[in-house]
Amino acid sequence: MEPRELLGIIKGRRSVRRFLEKRIPDECLKLIMEAGIWAPSGSNIQPWQFILVRDPILIKKIKLISPGLFGNPDALIVACVDKNRYEKAGKIGYTLSLMDISMATQNMMLMAYSLGIGSCPIASFNKLAVSEILELPDSFEPVLMISLGYPEEWPRPPERRPLSEVVYVDGYGKHYRG
Amino acid sequence: MVMESIIEDEHFKLLTFLIVSARGCVDEPSLYGPLRLIDAAERLIGLMDKMGKADKRLIEIMETIRERKFSVMSNEAEFIKLLDELVLRISRIIKETQLTR
Repeated sequence: MEPRELLGIIKGRRSVRRFLEKRIPDECLKLIMEAGIWAPSGSNIQPWQFILVRDPILIKKIKLISPGLFGNPDALIVACVDKNRYEKAGKIGYTLSLMDISMATQNMMLMAYSLGIGSCPIASFNKLAVSEILELPDSFEPVLMISLGYPEEWPRPPERRPLSEVVYVDGYGKHYRG
Repeated sequence: MVMESIIEDEHFKLLTFLIVSARGCVDEPSLYGPLRLIDAAERLIGLMDKMGKADKRLIEIMETIRERKFSVMSNEAEFIKLLDELVLRISRIIKETQLTR
């Protein structure tokens, strides 16, 4: 793959909040989840557990308690961190697990985009209610949700802060000018 | 009403949205409070429409919210401008409404 091709996928991904009524093939969902589990994780602990939600009634129920979930996605992936796993990384384990899950879900969203599938990361949902509805064990904490579906449209990209503002070279103060 | 169908009830949907949003607002960015409120307003107008209680002006407000509410994530000034515009539009509806004394 050409580097520009990968950058194109990274830049092209948008948070999609309006979906078509179109079924995502199972093989696409498998590729998306596979991309997730190949993310790096601190000490290779792989603290994640994912709940793939395809049942339309369950999606409706989760939507009720998720103010940040817009549109009618065909599938949801509820990303959880597993206390039984992240505790192995000591005091920093929980923080690391959030970083790990972020990298895993980004992988998933990029894979989804490469398949023409829209996604949106959602943190605005009630964890207690999601745990109750999905009957999660106590050690699972749902921390992020991804909605998935074919987009009604690809939204326009919001502006990005330029490299010259966010990158310093060899320490604070010298702005990147590349 | 049987419990199985309550999740399809529009009033119940709004009710759950309000309750979970209330909890969410404790931890979320401060501008998400206004976002949840206008989202609820959009839902409420939708409900009024189904009951035959929303006129053209309210429908237009609902459509405006639907189109522009996500500016909260990319353009704070634009989002606040939207809120002011909604206040003005609802104020005009109040002002123009004739009541018999």
